[in-house]
Amino acid sequence: MSAQFEMQLYLSRPYLTRQQILCAQKNTIHDRRSYNRKKLLIIKFLTDLTLQLNLPRKTLETAIYYYQRYHLFNLFETELCYTVATSCLVLGCKQAETFKKANEICTLSLRLRKMSNINSEVLDAFKKRIFQIELRILESCGFDYRVNNYVHIDDYIFKFGKTYALDVNICHTAWIIAYDVLKLDLLLTVPQHIIALATLKVACKLLEKPENLCSQYEMGNTDRDLINEAYFSIINFYINAFDLCDLKDNLPSYIPPISIERFMVLKANSGPEEGLTELTESDVGSDRFLEEQRQYSVRERRYVLSTDIMRDEVEALKISGR
Amino acid sequence: MSSSSQFKQLEKLGNGTYATVYKGLNKTTGVYVALKEVKLDSEEGTPSTAIREISLMKELKHDNIVRLYDVIHTENKLTLVFEYMDNDLKKYMDSRIVGNTPRGLELHLVKYFQWQLLEGLAFCHENKILHRDLKPQNLLINKKGQLKLGDFGLARAFGIPVNTFSSEVVTLWYRAPDVLMGSRTYSTSIDIWSCGCILAEMITGKPLFLGSNDEEQLKLIFDTMGTPNEATWPGVTSLPKYNANFQQRLPKDLKMILQPYCESPLDDTVIDLLHGLLQLNPDMRLSAKQALHHPWFAEYYQ
Repeated sequence: MSAQFEMQLYLSRPYLTRQQILCAQKNTIHDRRSYNRKKLLIIKFLTDLTLQLNLPRKTLETAIYYYQRYHLFNLFETELCYTVATSCLVLGCKQAETFKKANEICTLSLRLRKMSNINSEVLDAFKKRIFQIELRILESCGFDYRVNNYVHIDDYIFKFGKTYALDVNICHTAWIIAYDVLKLDLLLTVPQHIIALATLKVACKLLEKPENLCSQYEMGNTDRDLINEAYFSIINFYINAFDLCDLKDNLPSYIPPISIERFMVLKANSGPEEGLTELTESDVGSDRFLEEQRQYSVRERRYVLSTDIMRDEVEALKISGR
Repeated sequence: MSSSSQFKQLEKLGNGTYATVYKGLNKTTGVYVALKEVKLDSEEGTPSTAIREISLMKELKHDNIVRLYDVIHTENKLTLVFEYMDNDLKKYMDSRIVGNTPRGLELHLVKYFQWQLLEGLAFCHENKILHRDLKPQNLLINKKGQLKLGDFGLARAFGIPVNTFSSEVVTLWYRAPDVLMGSRTYSTSIDIWSCGCILAEMITGKPLFLGSNDEEQLKLIFDTMGTPNEATWPGVTSLPKYNANFQQRLPKDLKMILQPYCESPLDDTVIDLLHGLLQLNPDMRLSAKQALHHPWFAEYYQ
C-alpha cells in the first residue's frame, strides 16, 4: 500500500454528446461490432427477463440505461455481459421501485441462459458477482439518480398525450417506437421526457397527423436542440438499421405498411438535421472524465453533483499548498 | 474509513436502519460532516433505502433539509457524506426530562422549529417528494437553532400518481389514521399528520399518540380526535382496515389535553393549527404551504 493517500473526486455528468460517448467508448469497447451485436441480444435478454418477472417498461429502460452507462467506463467483455445485464436489472428494480428479490432475478437469469445445476452455491457465487458489478454501475453513474428517478419515457408519452389531448393511436405508436429507442445510445444523451416528445413527433408524422407538439410544449432553445437530436437519431436509426427495428413487426393496423423509404421521406421533409452542438475533437479528446478509464485501485472515489463542492476543495488545496 | 482518507472519522453518532453514522472532518476544507456508512446486504446488495436516500436528497437543496454532499466508494464500502448537525430533536427533548417528567420546549422555540419543519417539508412537497418517516429522531438541529429534515431512507417521489405505495411506512406514533387503516393512495397529507404529532410533542415533551400496535394506535387517535364516520370523512368505511366496531368517541378539547404539560398558556391559534394538521380526513388536512400561512406564524411572514 502506498504511503501517499490517493483520492479522486468526480462531478456527475449524466448526459453526454455523441462525440463524448464515442470518446469514452474508445477505451472500453475495442470491437464495436461485437458490442453492438451483443447489445441487441442483451436487450432481448432483459426484455425476456422483465416480461417473465412482470416488470414494467420503466424498469427495462432503467436497466438498459445502466448497461450502456456501465460500458462507458468499464471494459466490454463478451463473456461478462449477461452478468452485467442481470446486475443492471437488479439495480433497475431498486431504482424504479419495482422490487423483486435478487434471488428471483438471478435464478431466472441463469435459467434463461440454459445453465444447468443451479444450486445455492452457484446462485450465491453469481449474486456476489452481481453485487460487485452493481457498485461499479453506481459509480459509472456518479451515484446520480436524477436520470432514472421519476421521469420515464412511457410515463411521459401518456402524460404529454393527456395534456395535449393527442389521439390514442399516436401515443400507442410512440410507445412502440420508444422500445426501439432503447437500442440507441439516446438514453445517455438526452433526458427521458425529451425522448417521449421525440417519439410522439415521429408517431404524428407516421400517422400523418398535424404535429405542433414543440410549439405546445413551452421550451427554450436548449430543449428544441435536444428534441431535434432525439428526433433525428430515431429517424436515422430507422433508415440505417430498419431490419433491427421492432416497429415493423408490431405495426398497429391503423398504420399503413412502413419501409426505409418512408423514413427517408420523413427526414427529407424535416428540414436541416439539427441537434446538440458538439465540442471540437480536441476539446473532447482532452476531457479527462472521458479519456481516462476508471481507476478502481484508487482507494477513495468521491462523487458529487455540485460544482461548488469541487471548487471549495480546489481552493482549500491551493491555500494549504498541497 | 481509514484515517488516511479525505475524511477523519470521529465519534459514532448513531446506528440507522441500514447504516452507521459517524462524525467526520474533511481534512482539506476543515468542515465537519456526518458520515453514513452503508452496510451492504449479502442477500440484496446495495440497500434500496440507500439508493432512495441518495437519489432524492441529491436533488433537495434547502436551508431546512440536510445536504448530501457526496457519495464515497471505498473498498466495497459505501459512505454518504452529509452536512453535520449537532443534535436531533428527540435527543434534545430527552435531555430536558427532569426525573421522569417530560418537559415541553419553550413556545417561541416550538414555533421556530415548527416553522422550519414546515418550510423544509413544503420544499419537499413542491419537488414531488414525500418524506414518509417524519419523527423527532429524523429532525436534526444545531446550536444556532436551525432545524433540518434528515433520513430520507423511506422517502419516495410521487411525480407520477401511484396507488401502490406500501402501507408499511412512517413510525407508528406519527402514522396517519388513513395509513393505519390500510390506505395506499396517500400523498403529502401523510407527512402533515406527522407534523401535527411532532408539534404536540414539542409542546408537551411526550409523544401525542403512544400506541404499541396499529389497533392501539388508531384507538388512541380516535379517543382524542373522535371516531370518524361517512359524514365526517367520506369514504372512510371503504378503507381496507376500517372496522365498523370501532368504539365511537367524540373529539376532545386538545387544549385541555396539552395545557397541563406546558408551562406557558397555550393560545387558541396554535390549537387551531394543530386541528388543521391533525384532521382525520386526509383531504381536510392543511398543506405545508397553507400551514406556513397560518396566523400562528404571523410574526414570520408579516
